[in-house]
Amino acid sequence: MTIELLEKLCRLNGTSGDENRVRDFILSEISGFCDCRVDPLGNIIAEKKGTSAASKKVMVSAHMDEVGMVVTSVKSDGTITVSPVGGIDPRVAIGRPVRVGDSDICGVIGAKAVHNLSADEKKTAPKFSALYVDIGAEDKSAAEKLVALGDFVHFYSEFSVFGDGFVKGKAIDDRFGCAVMIDLIKSELPYDCVFTFVVQEEVGLRGSRTAAYSVEPDLAIVLEATTSADIPLASGEKRCCELGRGAVVSHMDRSTIYDKELYRLSHKLASENEIGWQTKTMVAGGNDSGSIHISRGGVRTIAISAPCRYLHSPSCVVKLSDLEDCEKLAKLMLEKMCTL
Amino acid sequence: MDLEKSIMSLADARGVSGDETNAAELALSMLKSYTDDCFIKNGNVIGRLGCKGSKPHILLDAHIDQIGFTVTHITDDGFLKIAGCGGIDRRLLLAQQVTVLGSKPLDGVICAIPPHLETDESKVPEMEDICVDVGLSKERAEEMISLGDKIVFSSRCEKLQGDRITGAALDDRCGVAAILRALELVNDKALQCELTVMFSTQEEVGERGAKIGAYDIEPDIAIAVDVSFALTVDDSELKCGKMGGGCMIGFSPVLDRELSQRLKAVAEKNSLPYQIEVMSGTTGTNADRFSVNKSGVKAVTLSIPLKYMHTPVEVISLSDVENTAQLIAAYIMEVVS
Repeated sequence: MTIELLEKLCRLNGTSGDENRVRDFILSEISGFCDCRVDPLGNIIAEKKGTSAASKKVMVSAHMDEVGMVVTSVKSDGTITVSPVGGIDPRVAIGRPVRVGDSDICGVIGAKAVHNLSADEKKTAPKFSALYVDIGAEDKSAAEKLVALGDFVHFYSEFSVFGDGFVKGKAIDDRFGCAVMIDLIKSELPYDCVFTFVVQEEVGLRGSRTAAYSVEPDLAIVLEATTSADIPLASGEKRCCELGRGAVVSHMDRSTIYDKELYRLSHKLASENEIGWQTKTMVAGGNDSGSIHISRGGVRTIAISAPCRYLHSPSCVVKLSDLEDCEKLAKLMLEKMCTL
Repeated sequence: MDLEKSIMSLADARGVSGDETNAAELALSMLKSYTDDCFIKNGNVIGRLGCKGSKPHILLDAHIDQIGFTVTHITDDGFLKIAGCGGIDRRLLLAQQVTVLGSKPLDGVICAIPPHLETDESKVPEMEDICVDVGLSKERAEEMISLGDKIVFSSRCEKLQGDRITGAALDDRCGVAAILRALELVNDKALQCELTVMFSTQEEVGERGAKIGAYDIEPDIAIAVDVSFALTVDDSELKCGKMGGGCMIGFSPVLDRELSQRLKAVAEKNSLPYQIEVMSGTTGTNADRFSVNKSGVKAVTLSIPLKYMHTPVEVISLSDVENTAQLIAAYIMEVVS
């Protein structure tokens, strides 16, 4: 996976329910390499021809949406109230630049000057309901010419490679998974399989539910980014997983108990091929596996995730070596699972 | 000068209190358009104009420093522990992108306890629980970062709707720009008084540059051009001015009332929009230092209304900066005649 592809994907704005721009970009990337259609919810279902027919139907899935906000009202002074879309800690929204609506209007989520805060206010972070977006409009009517209720608000932050092989930016969860799938679709694969770029993961694993129903797979691989707390403030098992130690394969999270055989297979393939592999040391988080593994009569499912610091913030941080490990492992697992 | 461009380039320059070189050198280069007699002394950018020795000697001041952080320790796993320089709002630090001014600028992200370990979203981290992730091992971090290196928010200036601009160091680079614009407005006229410009160091940590600068300059009249609070929905009208309402002229027991009145009269005479900012004691600006310099100086504050002070997304209106510059220039021209 090239960093340029990941950067292009992360720079696109696609809050849950507003994935159009991400979908259009992906469709333009993969057209000609597979047979694809868009389902009623907006999922891309891409059927890829391999060298041979597979004995098992495998679906590989990643979500296109990112966490963001939605406009709920315009106030008399021209500022805009918002609700979070997906799980956002209000503390990572306050004091940041944002983009509003389809035309990406510049705005900021400000904060009352620290000089004017009471002692209690200084100690308590505001709730989402107290935050508002300022686009510089002088009053309500000026703002209403530019912004409509229901418009989406996206984080705006710099995507960059920094430190020794780290990457930071918004929406790495889960444009990373999308980037790996684009790569796989463009490559020669040994067996036929199906790729789904799904919508609305962040608001309850909704796109993957209809995609899995349509595709009707025997097995599934979910490509994701998962929370890591390998920072000095957390120690031992609380770190969950660590950057630089390779692909994260969970045995269990809040949405899924993963297929034990696939879990063991991933470990075996990783060690045979000298690919970094780790599992999570806490039962935390969840992903589209939650809806896919209980689709129809059940789908044997595994998730391969990049460990990611500051997930669901404008500054997700991942390590390039982990991204490579995830991609290698995904490719090997896909090949094996097609003939299980 | 292109006021908008000047404000944005000044506010995108870096200059945390005590290490303002980058911003100070840019301001100095801009000041050179108006006087050759300019230099940096003890962190203060000084420019001298007009007739040396002619009374009154007017000082125009804006501070060049911005809030930020300083590196205090590098942990075993290469994260940076930091302390604040100036008034930091800890409520908004999590996951902020920052630039560490090491041997070269390095990207970093501020981190604290992640959500799965800290379920209370209203908790504000203590400074000691905050660190900066620079994606380096301790050894590699030590190669490029020294204790005492400064850190700034990474956000860059952007244009909002109308004439509004957002950025991280508009406090007080828009004040610097207002003074430069005022010099442009009076430039062609022969100044009959002595005029000194100072872009002062270390305001955010207690107006220290103002103290030492004024001691050398010995002005008769000092005008501190800074920012003040523009009203937002979550703040009080009693404390705030109105964005777009023009320059805020300070009235306070520690300011010279006659000078405040004079500026108000100048604004009215020249049909410049203005607002009155009443403070009941010290002003929290460099004017507090100027007024008690040596045997005393007549001081006043001229403030540009600014929203979201000390956040990475401060907001100003260009018209307020222009009107402040116009007011300064009109005042100087009146004093001269």
